[in-house]
Amino acid sequence: MTLTADERWDLIEKISNKVVTFGKFKHTLKDALGELTVKPLSGIPIAIAVLYGFWSVFCSFAGTLFTDGFFVKLFDGHFLPWIQSVFPGEGGWFYYIFVGDPAADNCFEAFGVLTSGFFVAIGVVLPAIFIFYLMMALLEDVGYMPRLAVLIDTIFHKIGLHGYAIVPSILALGCNVPAVTATRILETKKQRFIMMTLLAIFIPCGAQLGIMQEVIPESVGIVLLYLIFGYFLFGFILNKITPGKSPEILIDVPPYQKPLWNNIARKLRMRLEGFLKVAVPFVLFGCAIVNILYLTGTIDWLAKTVAPLLTGWFGVPGETVGPLIAAFLRKDLAVAQLSAIEMSKYQMITSVVLVSIYFPCVATFVMLLKEGWKNLLGSLAVLVAVIFLYGGLINLIWTLLGVQ
Amino acid sequence: MNDRIGRIYFGVLGIITLIFGITNLIVTLGGNDFSWGILEISSDMFRGGWGGLIVISAGLFYLSSLKNFLEIHQLSRALMGSILVWILAGTDIFVRITESIPGGEEGPWFNSLKGFLETYSPPYPPVIFLLPFSLIILFFVNKMKKA
Repeated sequence: MTLTADERWDLIEKISNKVVTFGKFKHTLKDALGELTVKPLSGIPIAIAVLYGFWSVFCSFAGTLFTDGFFVKLFDGHFLPWIQSVFPGEGGWFYYIFVGDPAADNCFEAFGVLTSGFFVAIGVVLPAIFIFYLMMALLEDVGYMPRLAVLIDTIFHKIGLHGYAIVPSILALGCNVPAVTATRILETKKQRFIMMTLLAIFIPCGAQLGIMQEVIPESVGIVLLYLIFGYFLFGFILNKITPGKSPEILIDVPPYQKPLWNNIARKLRMRLEGFLKVAVPFVLFGCAIVNILYLTGTIDWLAKTVAPLLTGWFGVPGETVGPLIAAFLRKDLAVAQLSAIEMSKYQMITSVVLVSIYFPCVATFVMLLKEGWKNLLGSLAVLVAVIFLYGGLINLIWTLLGVQ
Repeated sequence: MNDRIGRIYFGVLGIITLIFGITNLIVTLGGNDFSWGILEISSDMFRGGWGGLIVISAGLFYLSSLKNFLEIHQLSRALMGSILVWILAGTDIFVRITESIPGGEEGPWFNSLKGFLETYSPPYPPVIFLLPFSLIILFFVNKMKKA
């Protein structure tokens, strides 16, 4: 049966008369709180407070309680000496790949698949990812995320995106892999390209944040500041040079509500499973590949070859070439490697920023490829330009300040 | 009557909160921690600087709620001021909880009872002192719900 347009409107009116109740809208306290969180004057301090709470809980739960409180002791005090003593063939290449340096007294410096690999994946990254996704799910379920999207919509329009770009941006702070998938909530090809490029270059994942908090706690703020500044600077440029449209959106903002724990548990389980299946194998695989490259002398050769570029243009030691190669496999691993290289505080900040804006880790790379090879090539072209321009700019800033 | 009590109470609390927030920022700019009895103000950028800005915001929320205090939009401002204090105080308490459980780098796996309790001893940051006073907002919220 086919209805004419008039008949359809009549049917709609009949249904709406039956199911819709008309009355005077009365504001509740939740509505009033909701309004406060989306108005810029009141919403920005609230957003700062929420992010403050988020970061504080993240650091104390993952860093203080689990990594420093228990896992460092477990891995450095018990697991490392045990595996160093029972693993056969000390001095051989097999031992070097799986256990690493036999003289190392902590898992950060051993750099074997079973030592640093396990420690980074289980002892540092897992607690960080767990608490990150737990709080993220909580904010989503309470109804704060859509409000944050409304609040920052204007700012995101300056870089060709809209408020909902906050979802992939924050997800990327956990892991870039689901964040690349989340860019599909953006409407146009232009928006998706800008978002994927920015998150692959400028947003450090939870694993990297966890390691940064562990090895350079006093400099994390400056590194993040550089990354945020770069995110908006290059977002603005990309918006100007990328052809395509950046349309407005209408966001349905749900009322604030009590979180459903079943919902949160399901989201958390799903995201943690994704991390354990995709990221952990890459951490272990990354350790093995980097060790093989060291054993074959490839990294020494590369360090000598690109040393003039690294020291001259970026102002960092030639040895950082090893971590830069590791960064393609896992960025958290690369930051851990940087901590073992002797350099000044400012060189360390530049190196960590370079590792962050350097090639996305291989898992993100695969996800970008899934979204289309043209996008991937475009993102890589931007990335190469960004690493040279921004890396050189940071070195220039330090030089002008006289601290390099 | 409740309106007047609310205005006076949150007016005073707003001024005290604002003073604490400004002091936080001054201490952070000075670069040295400030201690006075059981009160301690941290000079680190995160707790002192960003924390100070949030405390100032909480104070301003309280003060902006005073006119026609029991009207729903005004009451929500006072409630938001309290929520900001709860976020700060909650994270501070959470930090202490996470520090109190492990036994330290060279110690046993878990902290001793003495060490555990010592983590919760003074000095405290300003938001911990503000916390009990900020809870009074719940009385007004309940009152409004019943009305």
